[in-house]
Amino acid sequence: MISRMPAIVVEGLTKKYGEFVALDQASFTVDEGAFFGCFGPNGAGKSTLLKILTGQIPATSGTAEVLGLDPTRNVVEVKRRIGIVPEVESPPSYLTASEFLRFAGTLHEVQSIDGKIERWLTFFDLQGAEGTLCRDLSKGMRQKVMLAAAFIHEPKLLFLDEPFINLDPIYQRKLRDYLLELREDGRTVFLCSHILDVAQRIVQEMIIMDRGKVVLKDKVSNALVGGEDLETLFLRLVGGGNGLAP
Amino acid sequence: MLTEEYRTHVKYSSRRLFLSLPLYIFFFTALFTYSLDILTGDLRLADLMLMAYGGIYIYGLSVGAFGVLGQTYLERRYGKDNFLISMPFLLPVSFRRVFLGMYLRDVIFYSALMLLPAFGGMALGAALSSHSLLSVLAIFLGLLVTFLYGMSTSFLISVLFAIDRRIFLLAVGALIALVAGYGLTGLYGLDLIIPSLGYQLNALPFPADWPSALVYLAVCAALSVLFLGLSLFLVRPGRSIAAGRHREMFLQHLRRFARFPSRTLLAKEFVDIRRSGLIVRMIFAYIVPLVFLSFTTYYVNHGLNIPVGFNAVFYGAMVGFFGVLLYSWMTNTDLNDYYETLPVRVPQVIRVKLMAFFLLTTGVSTIFVIGISMLNNEWQLLWLALVVLYCTTAYMILATAYLTGLNTNSFFFNPTILTKFTAISLLPDLLLTILSFSLQSGAWWALAGILGVCGVLLVMSLYFHRGIERKWGGASFL
Repeated sequence: MISRMPAIVVEGLTKKYGEFVALDQASFTVDEGAFFGCFGPNGAGKSTLLKILTGQIPATSGTAEVLGLDPTRNVVEVKRRIGIVPEVESPPSYLTASEFLRFAGTLHEVQSIDGKIERWLTFFDLQGAEGTLCRDLSKGMRQKVMLAAAFIHEPKLLFLDEPFINLDPIYQRKLRDYLLELREDGRTVFLCSHILDVAQRIVQEMIIMDRGKVVLKDKVSNALVGGEDLETLFLRLVGGGNGLAP
Repeated sequence: MLTEEYRTHVKYSSRRLFLSLPLYIFFFTALFTYSLDILTGDLRLADLMLMAYGGIYIYGLSVGAFGVLGQTYLERRYGKDNFLISMPFLLPVSFRRVFLGMYLRDVIFYSALMLLPAFGGMALGAALSSHSLLSVLAIFLGLLVTFLYGMSTSFLISVLFAIDRRIFLLAVGALIALVAGYGLTGLYGLDLIIPSLGYQLNALPFPADWPSALVYLAVCAALSVLFLGLSLFLVRPGRSIAAGRHREMFLQHLRRFARFPSRTLLAKEFVDIRRSGLIVRMIFAYIVPLVFLSFTTYYVNHGLNIPVGFNAVFYGAMVGFFGVLLYSWMTNTDLNDYYETLPVRVPQVIRVKLMAFFLLTTGVSTIFVIGISMLNNEWQLLWLALVVLYCTTAYMILATAYLTGLNTNSFFFNPTILTKFTAISLLPDLLLTILSFSLQSGAWWALAGILGVCGVLLVMSLYFHRGIERKWGGASFL
């Protein structure tokens, strides 16, 4: 059996905003090459967790390691090795899509950048918007720009916060297929999403969070027993408070 | 809207700190009024009023300019904040009503935050000294109307900017020509540009001619209402989605800055500057005040034949202080959230903005100081004026960047930051002003003093530059 290195190690991670506990003693490990899902209702702490892991905010206590580095102390090093699609699609207002890809690619020191820009503009069908500033693009187009910028340097680890939101069904499918390719290629993906039917088809391991706590961590194949789907499991675990538990 | 404005400002410090800002202004103006006679020295009361009215007019212009940056607000709505400016697109409220709301919001908010505490402070200072309370009331009235006039002018010019850039340039050109005409010809007074100044010179504490004063005040108030009315009439009741085509600019700048450090960030900064219209705002915030200042002095010196001590060295120092507003705007062109997805840190972006600032302004400010030396026939002071210019600019901008990072405008509403900034800027400003006046008499110690101050400013600039890493190293772009 081949033992894989952990890509992400989280131990007792806690984030407090004043008295409010957004993340409460979260602990889990994500192996290299895993397609990892992070699910939970609104306000469960998913985005906070993702922000800590990508060095955007510091944790109040606990430790996190991303590709063997502390993301708070080695922000730039970690960001060089990962790709991030944030919760809110906000590319720079005054750059066009291809300019932003060149900007992101140059900062990531991508070689042969022209070909890569062309590839992602074509993949997301952004050539038609060539010459349009990002601020004038639709939400869906901006989401595509953010995705392309996260993929352009072919990172070993991707953090995707709601990547399917704002995309039409064609591009949801296209993105899902690409993510499956990445899985086959042995890259690690950390995905936060509410679109559970899509997630169920691609995620191998997962955590489900509720009110800052990790309430389930398991392989998807182990967790979904007796024909139960991810949505039913989700509602059973965290839907009780909303009267939606099956 | 007021609640929103209040919460936006509170977000950058704390409720307690934000609410202590009016107290800070109150005590500062009380102290200033109380010690007015000592502080002003030989400065004539008319000159002091000219500075106060000119300052408040420019303040009104800048508040108005910020108030109508609706487009940026709308963009933020799609980012993380949803401002009420987007109401006409979501709720059954007309655009004009929201526009008027913005005007009233800014009048109430900034009057309550700045002008009323300043009035209270002036009143207290006057009560504790020999100054008349009635004079304070007369000054406050004039300053309030001037502030409204500045805001209305700015709202109107911003509306013209949104309608057609050519009309906008025409309006700004007319304003500059008016100021230049005043300075060069002396055919009319400054009260033609700022009528409330005419009111003040005919009201207390000057020998009062109330009928004339009231006519001036009424004209200024009427112009404010007229400009606001015109803005409301002309404003386009729709969201401006100017999704025009833009030719590739980033790569072009990337090549241009190939030899610079952080060339990628610098190239993006210049693309932002060009496409966001910052150059136009720079003309407003940087070049217009400089032109205003130079022509006023030229007129006083040559038109009225009153020898004032404002020489090229004094202007060199002043230019450094004007730059703060421009740096503030440079940090406010766009949200920075996307930097969180890239291998970049806050101090890096601050340093790039500083580099862009110096590249953008050094030429303009150098030409200005050379021009003012030429106008005043002070070629012998040019070298010193340039030394003072570069030292004060570096010092002021680095101090601002150190204190406020990438949120300059917002942090200036934090009294702790404001106190530090005042302390940092006021002392060298006072010293350089006094020493530059003393240069006239050829005092060697004034020259030595100016060079000494410049040396200290350079050392402090180095300290602030190094401090940026220490202070902002762990900061987030969010």
